Amino acid sequence: MHSDSAPLFAVHDVCYSYLGRFCALDGVTLRIEHGERVALLGANGCGKSTLLKLLDGLIFADQGSFCAFGEPVTEATLEDEQFNNGFRSRVGFVFQNSDAQVFSPSVREEVAFGPLNIGMSTEEANERVDDTLRMLEILDLADRAPYQLSGGQKKRVAIASVLAMNPDVLLFDEPTAALDPRTQQWLIELIIELNRSGKTIVLATHELDTLANLVDRCVVFAEDHTIAAIDIPERILDDRALLRATNLIHEHAHSHGGEFHEHEHDRTHHDALQHGIGREMRALMGEH
Amino acid sequence: MHIPDGYLSPATCGTLGAAMVPVWVTAGRRVKRVVKSRFVPLLAIGAAYCFLVMMFNVPIPDGTTAHAVGGVLVAVLLGPWAAVIAVTCALAIQALFFGDGGVLAFGANALNMAFIMPMVGYGVYRAIAGRAALTAPRRAVAAGIGGYVGLNVAALAAATEFGLQPTLFHTGNGTPLYSPYHLGQAIPAMMLAHLLVAGVVEAVLTTGVVTYLQRANQPLLAINRNGADPNNGGHRSSRFGWRWALVGLATMVVLTPLGLIAPGGAFGESAPGDLDLKKYHLDAVPSGLRHYAGFWHNAMFNGYDFANDKHPMFGYLISAITGVAALALMVVVGFVAARAIARYRRAGNAFDSGRLVS
Amino acid sequence: MTTVEVAPRTPEWLLRSEVGLCPCGCIGKRSNTGFVAKTLESATGLLHEAVFAEDVAHRPGMLQRTDVRVKLVVTFALLISVSLVRHMVALIAMYPIVLVIAALSKVSVSFFIKRVWLFVPIFTGIVVLPATLNVITAGRIVVPLGTWFGHRIGLTEQGLSSGGLIVARVALSISLVVLLTLTTPWNRLLAALRTLFVPKMFILVLGMAYRYLFHLLGSVSDMYTARKARTVNRDNNTRRGRAFVASTAGALFGKSHALSEEVHQAMVSRGFTGNPRALRSSSLRRYDIGVGAAGFLLVAITLVGDHAFG
Repeated sequence: MHSDSAPLFAVHDVCYSYLGRFCALDGVTLRIEHGERVALLGANGCGKSTLLKLLDGLIFADQGSFCAFGEPVTEATLEDEQFNNGFRSRVGFVFQNSDAQVFSPSVREEVAFGPLNIGMSTEEANERVDDTLRMLEILDLADRAPYQLSGGQKKRVAIASVLAMNPDVLLFDEPTAALDPRTQQWLIELIIELNRSGKTIVLATHELDTLANLVDRCVVFAEDHTIAAIDIPERILDDRALLRATNLIHEHAHSHGGEFHEHEHDRTHHDALQHGIGREMRALMGEH
Repeated sequence: MHIPDGYLSPATCGTLGAAMVPVWVTAGRRVKRVVKSRFVPLLAIGAAYCFLVMMFNVPIPDGTTAHAVGGVLVAVLLGPWAAVIAVTCALAIQALFFGDGGVLAFGANALNMAFIMPMVGYGVYRAIAGRAALTAPRRAVAAGIGGYVGLNVAALAAATEFGLQPTLFHTGNGTPLYSPYHLGQAIPAMMLAHLLVAGVVEAVLTTGVVTYLQRANQPLLAINRNGADPNNGGHRSSRFGWRWALVGLATMVVLTPLGLIAPGGAFGESAPGDLDLKKYHLDAVPSGLRHYAGFWHNAMFNGYDFANDKHPMFGYLISAITGVAALALMVVVGFVAARAIARYRRAGNAFDSGRLVS
Repeated sequence: MTTVEVAPRTPEWLLRSEVGLCPCGCIGKRSNTGFVAKTLESATGLLHEAVFAEDVAHRPGMLQRTDVRVKLVVTFALLISVSLVRHMVALIAMYPIVLVIAALSKVSVSFFIKRVWLFVPIFTGIVVLPATLNVITAGRIVVPLGTWFGHRIGLTEQGLSSGGLIVARVALSISLVVLLTLTTPWNRLLAALRTLFVPKMFILVLGMAYRYLFHLLGSVSDMYTARKARTVNRDNNTRRGRAFVASTAGALFGKSHALSEEVHQAMVSRGFTGNPRALRSSSLRRYDIGVGAAGFLLVAITLVGDHAFG
């Protein structure tokens, strides 16, 4: 299923809408090569998470095509057990909401879930679990229940559960949202290290701070669910007009010593607070 | 409504547990086949939800508390077989983790709250909701009435299980070995609390949640209509499930008198010296029963004296059969009503589903 | 510098500070907490208890070292024997043994007794109390309480012994189950259930339900706290409480559904196709077999002893 000339992911003119009503992706075309580090940038609800789910074969395009490793990924092709196992073990997805991802009664079972599902033996899976937990420095948590973990620990477990399958591609949805600064830094270093060992990284974010040294390429989503720009981070970050138009930065009024002035602001701090269950899901649930 | 361990005889617990086995097997198979993997987390959430609902105790005047179950709500939202699994899991957590739900009595609790309640409640809901649109107030009210009826039928079942205990299991001088209240006392006590308080809470809760979802979250309401509901599945598979359910009921009807009466003889011993075997006319016991009693006696508890109580066994055999048959009848009526409506609705499905999405 | 409008959308009243507390101190009416608050308190207590239980489950004690399958089977056998016993004496004799096992398993005995006996009198005691009267349980009156419309009212011998038997049996049953769950982490319990007889589908749902119980409990507390924070006046209005419960329950189900969608995607993403697979448990050691044998010896002694009493 692997051909060297084909890009890792090829998304062509994809449209997707929830329940046929709420448009989330509109005519998106994108190629991601082996070993790349790509950031999907955009304001809340612009379609970043939806695209990640599409890349992970969790949802399927209403229109357009998606190929991974040179093979089309559709509901039908994933029904083939061999293809499903191959695809699932090669593409790992770290969800924004660790609570959704860490669903097993214990950390050990959580991390073993993926390896067991792709057909690994119990012994092999147990070894994988130990290695992964050791690597992420959470071996002492192995027998803990997820509700006893802190947010940062849950994130580590979620990442461990994905890494245990040794995927070629890692998809991160808002990886650093709602994490304390030290865990954020740890995660950024981990992502860079994983990439150095040959893994392709795709992450959705609206954190502009750390972008420059984290990724090779940025894909900027407009609020109308289309792609507004694809470029290297330096050029994207310099294009204030683009960032303002896509709602990644905004004019913000401050008062310093009774005097008002105006300057541009990252959305970082505001949005970091707004984590939670997928926003698109909430839109779909009609709670808006 | 939870029956803790110690209120029911082991024979009753065993019988009711055995009756639940085919129900659980059916529920597992149907949910797995009809709805695939997508349902698993939803069921888990349903179970957690039921557990939380059961924790919302409402004080009732006599100093104890009654609680809603949420079983009918889960049945309305996810389908009755899904509710069987969800409520069973909620009860299992209650029993195992928090220790006060009853481990031996698990089968009895599951029969009442995880089987009878969602099935009866769902039948009533379908009967009343008819072909009303998904957002019709009628549907919310129907769910509420279904919740009310379901909870009360479950309470009646629990009261019947309680009420049969002193009649069937007591020592020679009349000391009840398990729950001391007779049918005539257990049923009014139980039903008063549930008809007046817990049933109302269940109804308010079910109506409230359905109304809220009609306003705020229609896709959730549509789950049970978009193929997730086993009743909307193919005709053939549907019949398969009902057959299994009926097998479960039949097992229950067959086993209950046997399980209740026979060990009743074996365990219902009297204190020494109080009992004159001949005085209690052992001869009145039908030979078949004596055979069963002897079987239990020999197989399990050798050395226990076989004794009988002074009441004619037949009356209790009949009352046990009547009680179980009445329950079975209620469930079957619920089933038949639901099926009839389902068939009626399938005819006009196209019209109905068109209305849903808009 | 451009003209900056500070708060074009902020209404004027929001920028003004409100007089909150009455300057003369606490002279307002005290309010009683309603059932919502009580239930939430007990829910929070439950959460603490669960965390505490896991703590006990990791101590190096007798039962903690025992294989969970053995513990499950022995507990089940003991529950059946407790349920078969017809003499209070046998149950009373068994209780100290259970307490000793609790102590050997590093469970605080006073906590263990409290955990069981705070619950039993409230639920079982009240239920059983009327049954000691001759009105309910006919028999020889041993404690006459007077007459009512010419009928003698009193506690009967049969009623008292039956009530005592039931209370003792319920207490002992709960003690056994509590001991099992206190000394066993939930995930091990599930793994053991799987190897015994419970289908994988139920185990999977059970494990996730337990997992999300804590998540949902957190959501309910948050919603309640948010509501309480917005409530200024006394608020023990039961009807409003009920409306809150219904809408909370609805919102909770909606939230839970969205969560379950994500959980499912997370499972599918890691190769889940509907067939749950799990880590296999290890084999039994000699120690486990010893504990199991001791357990069954206790079952036998209880039944034989009970029989010896007549």
